[in-house]
Amino acid sequence: MGRLKQKGKAGAAKAYVTRTSAIKKLQCSLADFRRLCILKGIFPREPRHRKRANKGSSAPTSFYYAKDIAYLAHEPVLQKLREHKAFAKKLSRALGRGEWSSAKSLEDNKPVYRLDHIIKERYPTFVDAVRDIDDALCMIFLFASLPSSAKLSSDLVDNCARLAAEWQLYVIHTQALRKVFLSIKGVYYQAEICDQTVTWLVPYQFTQSIPSDVDVRVMLTFLELYQTLLGFVFFKLYTDAGLVYPPPLDDKKDESGAGVGAFVLQEAKRTTVSLPSTTVKTVENGGKRVSSKDVRQTIKTITAGSETNDVDMVDASQPNEAPSADAADEDFVLHPSASNPQEAASLPTFQSLSSLPHADSSRLLSPYTFWLSRETSRPIFEFLIRSFGGRIGWPATSGSGSPFDETDESITHVIIDRPVIERSEEKEEELERKRRRKYVQPQWVVDCINAGKILLEEPYVQGKILPPHLSPFEDRAGAYDPTAPLHTEDVGMDEEDADAEASEPESSEDEDGDGKAPEKAALAAAAAAEDVAALRAAELEAEAAGVDFGTFEKEARKARKKVKASEDAPTTEEDMNKMMMSNRQRKLYERMKYGERKRTAEKDRLQDRKRSIEKQHKKSSKAKA
Amino acid sequence: MESEDEDAGEEEGSDDGEVDEFPEIDTRSDSEEEEEEEVVAGSDEEEEEETDAEDEEDEEETDAESSSEEELRIFPKAKTIISKITGQPKRIYPEIEPDYDSDSSTEDTSNRVGNIPMHWYDDLPHVGYDINGKKVLRPARGDELDKFLETVDDPNSWTTAFDKKAQMDKPLTAEELDIIRRLQENENPDAAYDPYEPTVEWFTGKGKEEVMPLSAAPEPKRRWVPSKWEKQKVMKIVRAIRQGRIVPNKPKTASTKPQFYPIWNEGPSNQPAPLPAPKPRLPTHAESYNPPEEYVPTEEERKEWEATDKEDRERDFLPQKYSSLRHVPAYNHFIQERFSRQLDLYMAPRIQRKKLQIDPNSLIPKLPSPSSLKPFPTYKSLHVTHDKGRPRIVSVSTDGIWAASGDDSGVVNLWEVTVGKVVKSWKFDSKIGSVEWSPRIDVSFLVVGIEDHLHFLVPPFLAPNVLVATTSLLAPATLPPQPATPSPIKWKSSSSDTLDKPILTLTLPPSSGLPKQISWHRKGDYFATVSSTEGQSGVWIHQISRRHSQAPFKKIKGTVQLVLFHPTKPNFFVATQRYVRMYNLAEQKLLKTFQPGIRWISSMDIHPLGDHLIVGGYDRKLCWFDLEMSDKPYKVLRYHTRAIRSLHFHPTYPLFASSSDDGSIQIFHARVYNDLMTDPLIVPLKILRGHRVKDGLGVLAVRWVPRQPWLLSAGADGDVALWCS
Repeated sequence: MGRLKQKGKAGAAKAYVTRTSAIKKLQCSLADFRRLCILKGIFPREPRHRKRANKGSSAPTSFYYAKDIAYLAHEPVLQKLREHKAFAKKLSRALGRGEWSSAKSLEDNKPVYRLDHIIKERYPTFVDAVRDIDDALCMIFLFASLPSSAKLSSDLVDNCARLAAEWQLYVIHTQALRKVFLSIKGVYYQAEICDQTVTWLVPYQFTQSIPSDVDVRVMLTFLELYQTLLGFVFFKLYTDAGLVYPPPLDDKKDESGAGVGAFVLQEAKRTTVSLPSTTVKTVENGGKRVSSKDVRQTIKTITAGSETNDVDMVDASQPNEAPSADAADEDFVLHPSASNPQEAASLPTFQSLSSLPHADSSRLLSPYTFWLSRETSRPIFEFLIRSFGGRIGWPATSGSGSPFDETDESITHVIIDRPVIERSEEKEEELERKRRRKYVQPQWVVDCINAGKILLEEPYVQGKILPPHLSPFEDRAGAYDPTAPLHTEDVGMDEEDADAEASEPESSEDEDGDGKAPEKAALAAAAAAEDVAALRAAELEAEAAGVDFGTFEKEARKARKKVKASEDAPTTEEDMNKMMMSNRQRKLYERMKYGERKRTAEKDRLQDRKRSIEKQHKKSSKAKA
Repeated sequence: MESEDEDAGEEEGSDDGEVDEFPEIDTRSDSEEEEEEEVVAGSDEEEEEETDAEDEEDEEETDAESSSEEELRIFPKAKTIISKITGQPKRIYPEIEPDYDSDSSTEDTSNRVGNIPMHWYDDLPHVGYDINGKKVLRPARGDELDKFLETVDDPNSWTTAFDKKAQMDKPLTAEELDIIRRLQENENPDAAYDPYEPTVEWFTGKGKEEVMPLSAAPEPKRRWVPSKWEKQKVMKIVRAIRQGRIVPNKPKTASTKPQFYPIWNEGPSNQPAPLPAPKPRLPTHAESYNPPEEYVPTEEERKEWEATDKEDRERDFLPQKYSSLRHVPAYNHFIQERFSRQLDLYMAPRIQRKKLQIDPNSLIPKLPSPSSLKPFPTYKSLHVTHDKGRPRIVSVSTDGIWAASGDDSGVVNLWEVTVGKVVKSWKFDSKIGSVEWSPRIDVSFLVVGIEDHLHFLVPPFLAPNVLVATTSLLAPATLPPQPATPSPIKWKSSSSDTLDKPILTLTLPPSSGLPKQISWHRKGDYFATVSSTEGQSGVWIHQISRRHSQAPFKKIKGTVQLVLFHPTKPNFFVATQRYVRMYNLAEQKLLKTFQPGIRWISSMDIHPLGDHLIVGGYDRKLCWFDLEMSDKPYKVLRYHTRAIRSLHFHPTYPLFASSSDDGSIQIFHARVYNDLMTDPLIVPLKILRGHRVKDGLGVLAVRWVPRQPWLLSAGADGDVALWCS
């Protein structure tokens, strides 16, 4: 006889521990346990059978892996937390006794924990770390914008602001920004670093206050981890790009509100093989595993010297010197013709093919010079325009450090966000300037970046009603696409359908009585036509019978719709086959169908809404006319 | 006390000794001093008569010196005189008075018994002995009145106490009274005790140091030579401080900034990276500050969104449209959202789930098309109506020409399958429980089960030879011999020629109820009946040739619902409410118990090849069992929306049908393969609808027509229908 199995000695009962028992085992407080979990990235698990994991009890508890807790027990940070507890006791005792000097020496020797090992443990490779910095960046940008208070030391806020600026500088430097989205929550940015897409959300510049239902301790613990993580990640990114980390800060500029401009990027004194432009390229192409092709590529780009990218020109009204300035060096063009970039692009190379999705849009704005009007947000647009290669200036009210002033001749675009005010007394000079420059609303910049090309300024000109701003992140197949035009026939047809359906009964009766037999037959044939050939035959027939094309088309469409409807109706055969599905499969099937139905319902709802809105527009325009 | 004594002694001593004039006192030795004193004192003897005042004055003069001396003086002062005999000076102490300083000794207590318990003398006339050994007699004591009078007379009586040794009242002395008073006032009883007396430095202070060492060992060198090794250690620290290796008062931790270094330069550990947290959902068009107009919610949608709880909302924001970027306000849930994301990160359990990117339709099993599996019944060709009651049961003769249907009102209709016209109808006085044709070909009759009776009916229009065979079988001229054990069931043949009456009647034991089911053995000699009462009398197996009935089970667990003969083997299936048991009739033992997992079994049939069993239940399930395999169903189907009422395998075609209370009949193709490796193929073919649901009942019975792919069904709406292909 085998050994008797005891209950609770193996399986789920052993693999999981409840939170209470975990805390008991670690001999720490709940707050410390939470802090440890946050730092170590340990989260509760859902056992397959809760009852088995909880030794027969079905009380609601959260479970952790017993192994996770066992690892936590050896964590140096836990040791430090315990030391800190003792330290706090000693300190409070010293303070209570009024022993100030011993309190001071205690305070000086306060136990402090380091998170380096945790970073290395949680992110064994650099790519792991880059993949996970989304949340960290969001938090850093949020705390950089918070006012410091008793709970929130100014050091912390300063450090967050510094990290945020460092990140922006790096993105500008490597031109890694890909997508931007102005949402009601804030600005979403997406960059591509080490072939990982990093998305972060920056709140609009308003003073925020921490609401009372938010546990600041938890947020600060996260922030502690994120600061360390970002420090290491930035160190690696900067050094890989041949820059000095941390970038030196110009205090004078910082005090005058230069923002990102207060930092100076310093090249590390190393071999100069890695030009900044090459780094850009490698970062962009880092997606593929480094193959021999890539290596050859890199060599080629180095030999080619400085490298500039083509700007996708769609607007004919662009200044002519732009394409000539951006000769496509990377393409195998024997005679680089400045005037004809299309010809150059007709010889695709590996590089041009591989970078097709974001076709050379990283220097999209390089030919232009922007002036920010004072009501637009400088941090957002300075970051955007600089990371796409454009030059930007701003008035002194938005902070110092503008490279040029408003009267500069090179300014091509003014980003302005206020209604047009007619002013009669304007100097000739100003008028001239106005004529030369383009006054666009901020959305134009963002839409250009998302489209990967320079859009026409016309719809975005100051004072105009803007076209809708769409999310660049929505790319789910089959989702509702607001840009896709509604089938005009659909729009028209619906009305006609409604009319036709209302009048159908009597009309059919009428026609039965009338002598329009051949036409009727032809239409019936159209209705019955199943494939293209049959439809064509029916059309010919109808024509012969003297039915005009419009009527025929209508009939055919109606018929097609009917066929579709009948197809949509569940075929009995498939329905019957469903009864042979196993229970699990049937549930899965039902779930999938449910989701599908929900999505299509949402899509249909939006389409209907759009249709009705368009109809209203039409009506109102008609009424006006 | 001491000082008092001394004073007293001094007074005594001062009679004959003059206080010295020499202030010099060596504390080293008292005796020497006293000797000197004596010398001085001896010089002026005459001044003995000096007053106390003078004496005191002198003392005051030498106050500083004599204070310690007086303290130490215990004995009275001695006088030094010149001895008359020897001519040498000698010291003379004053004579000690015996009563000095002893209270008790002066008294005339003659009782010398000592400190013993005085009750030893309680019974004796004396109270002890005096110094001479004479008895001390107990003094006479007056009665209580005398005592009282004494106390009245004597004003000091309240300060007296009874002395046991003297057996009389003694007044308390002043000291004793003082002690009592002190005790009452919680003071130290000793009046002389001074709790605050100054400390006497006996061993410390100047001049009292210990001069002699405790040990005679020579003092070690290390006591006075500085240590070389200590010096080396100190020099090491000094050097370190000079070189700046040790920074004095360096704050160790407080100001250390995090140092960053290339942490990822050394290779990663072997441990796999923990799974990255799922990224938050990316924003959609609806989140834009300037979304397309169709995303902007209408007033109702806005209200609905605001009315729903925060947790139930599909999205956590309401789309808004702003005409320009400068109008966009701060998002007031920004921090909450960040916080909830963080809560998700560390408090929510995570499960890795594989995302299925499949077409849901690919989950539907691919089965052969029903059109390729023809023939099967598809339409209702005719129906026979029972006017009075709902037909419960229908049965088809072996040749497939005749059908009999019985209903609740006690009518059994006989009709031709292809015509659908009732040719004969029998009326019984109780409702029909079951109707079944005999499976034999050489004879033709049907058995009808009604309350407590089984009637054998012979249909009309039989061929003469068949009729003769049937009559001779059911009503033989010579009855077979009675079995050894008499059965409680009576077999009674009637020899009347009319077909209206049953040719044979079996009378079941009284109150055994309605025979719900009649199940024939393949050869047609045996048939089993199940009556609707519980217990032993429920199941009977009847043998026609021997005209004998027997109960196969003495006792059976559960209520028997159905019984069934195996088509090829001597096996017998018994279905109770939940289980189906298979018995071997020849060996009389239980072979297997099937567990369909149905709460209440309603119907059961076996495949004609005998390897597969289907069981239907009132809880809508249909279970397919492979008899060779497990006792759990091979397949469980649930497709009817109401209880399954009846199941039947076609005897020749690979078809089976099930009928349900939802009014539908489901036809399946059920192909069974001879090799054990191939699973049976079950294909749903057709749902036949046409019966109406009446009083919650749908189609009560289905039966296939032998040799044809046709189906007969008895519906609760009163119709018995024929479904043809």
